[in-house]
Amino acid sequence: MVLDLLASGLVYSSIIVLGSIGLSLVYSIANFANFAHGDTMTVGAYAALVTFGAVGGLGGTVLGLPYGFFLALGVGIGMAALVAVVTEKVIYEGMDIGSIGLLITSIGIAFIYRAIIQMGFGADFTRYDIPAMRPIDALVTYGIRVTLQDVAIVASATVLVVGLHLLLQYTDLGRKMRAMADNPDLARVSGIRTDRVKLWTWIIGAGLAGAGGVFLGLFSRLTPRMGFDLLLIIFAAVILGGIGSVYGAMLGGVLIGMTTQLTPVLSELGTVLPLVPDTWGIPIGIEYANAIAFVIMVAVLLVRPSGIAGEAV
Amino acid sequence: MKLTGGVGAAGLTGLAGCSATNDSGSGDSGSSGPYEIGMVDAVTGSLSAFGQRNQRGKDLALAAVNEVGVSGQDLNIIVEDSGSESSGGVSAAQKLVNQDGVPFMIGTVGSGVSLSIYESVVQGTDVVQLSQNSTGLGLTDFPGLLRMSPTGRTQSTALANIIADDGYDTVALTYVNNNYGSSLADAFVNAWDGDIAYNNPHDQDQSSYSGVISEMNSSEADAWLFITYQAEFATMVNEIFSSGYEPQLYGADSVSGDNVIENTPDGSMEGMKIAVPSAPVEQENYQNFVSTFESEYDESPTVWSAYAYDCVITAALSIQAAEEFSGAALGEVVRDVTRPEGEEVTSYQAAHDILADGGGPSDVDYQGVSGPIDLNENGDPVGFLQIQEVQDHSYEQIGFIES
Repeated sequence: MVLDLLASGLVYSSIIVLGSIGLSLVYSIANFANFAHGDTMTVGAYAALVTFGAVGGLGGTVLGLPYGFFLALGVGIGMAALVAVVTEKVIYEGMDIGSIGLLITSIGIAFIYRAIIQMGFGADFTRYDIPAMRPIDALVTYGIRVTLQDVAIVASATVLVVGLHLLLQYTDLGRKMRAMADNPDLARVSGIRTDRVKLWTWIIGAGLAGAGGVFLGLFSRLTPRMGFDLLLIIFAAVILGGIGSVYGAMLGGVLIGMTTQLTPVLSELGTVLPLVPDTWGIPIGIEYANAIAFVIMVAVLLVRPSGIAGEAV
Repeated sequence: MKLTGGVGAAGLTGLAGCSATNDSGSGDSGSSGPYEIGMVDAVTGSLSAFGQRNQRGKDLALAAVNEVGVSGQDLNIIVEDSGSESSGGVSAAQKLVNQDGVPFMIGTVGSGVSLSIYESVVQGTDVVQLSQNSTGLGLTDFPGLLRMSPTGRTQSTALANIIADDGYDTVALTYVNNNYGSSLADAFVNAWDGDIAYNNPHDQDQSSYSGVISEMNSSEADAWLFITYQAEFATMVNEIFSSGYEPQLYGADSVSGDNVIENTPDGSMEGMKIAVPSAPVEQENYQNFVSTFESEYDESPTVWSAYAYDCVITAALSIQAAEEFSGAALGEVVRDVTRPEGEEVTSYQAAHDILADGGGPSDVDYQGVSGPIDLNENGDPVGFLQIQEVQDHSYEQIGFIES
């Protein structure tokens, strides 16, 4: 059972990582906690739903997912980025109210995104019209029950995360982004066009959120609240990793995702750990999974106030 | 204390209203002035869909009653609107009880509204309150508050029987972490004689339920019972399917819906059984009700209209059976005309004839268009439920169960 939970934890973590990277990026450059980030994920998911409904499967499949779905994924990423950029240009950019004011504004923006989606699609849930799959036989013998589609989610998320790593480390834009995150004023006086870098940060952050939303829809279901419901967990991941740090957000996402999915193990710790009786365990129900994730976050912050990968204050 | 005082005062005025009606009633006994009862209905507001169906059911029942007559007179129902809110319901009930002096009041739809009316207007008086559509479990604790629609608890009992009849002695249960889920789950645990290998709530609106499914599987029970909502259940079914588990599924009616069928893979719920509150759709009196309703309103009735219909018939039979037109007298007979020992009859005409021929309230067992009724001491009817089975990825009705 532990292996199975680890596997589903990996899938869930991939989605949270995609969300938390974007949140952390925008925080580091735009300098406010964007509460509309969860609903940006929802935008991506619904854009993909519409696209996939329009183009269909387009013939073949890769890893259990039709070609059309990958096109829909691209549109979802693009739409989430577009919506975020338009919001930044029309609303956040002209607003001179400090980071707390922007935070409150972004909560309002989140409600607006959600209301528009709900007007178009209703409040009921739906799923992509992709046939569900059975677990991969070869892995079932080890007690791991994942489908090819789960593998596709993890693989796609890995590609996106590695791509971001390469971009940040080896491209001109990446260097400018890191410079700006470290010290925006210094970046500006050294000739970096900070406006343009900021815009690219929104595009990348929201695009990753859009991808996370598309995969979240594939993993569970699409509802207008889907992104907002996940937002607190994503915040936990970002803060645990060290707010503003992209690599911290990745680590935090994996830790939080794994913790929530591995909660069932707590009540059967004895069967997993050596040297303790099999019946030993922490009797806590899975309805407290999110609470446990936050307990871990608080515990880490007590020891490292700026998060795992955050710089010492 | 203040609240109790208020209820007491309302009670006194209620009694005063009653005795006033008695006087006029005895004065009228020679003439043909109609018997007047009240109805608090959610004509407007969030529950107005129920309220409008209730009105149609009431109108049909009233026509059936007045065709035959009640003790040689007509029945008249004064309808007041609750606006689907407690405050509106209470003032509507106060008007009916204190100004119109009705001894019998049908009302109302929302469980919270019905309870508010009972606690602030009816409790402590002789007025009989019969709710047409409230299904909240809490109403059972108020024996003076009668209702026509069965409590949600009947579903749990029915499910326990269905699972036992299917030959399972161990069940894994998960329920949504709120009042609805936990009360139905508690009721199931009480009714279930076998083992419960897993009994755990889950939160609403979660992105992943793989932990729940994984735990249910490791409980090694073959029968899995779900008391949750459609979105959560559909996600769980997908998780069960993609994990390759094949348990026998059971569910409360809140897990069934077209959206669940549309968003789960074909065959993933094959053989699942669900208990759904239902009218006795195979009985002749219900079919007659449907055809009358359809010819009158050009659409099919729901079970909620049938409950309102039966409220009116029950009220009329109580008036016919009672010795006088007062709350106390009606309260004595209202349960008896709906429950056994008496002759089972399926129409107002037949029940009326027994009573008019000198039969007492216990000589009649009115079988309603919504089910057998059989109001018990707590004021609850017998639950009449349809069992549905998922066959070829759609819901098929496979039988009925009384609980």
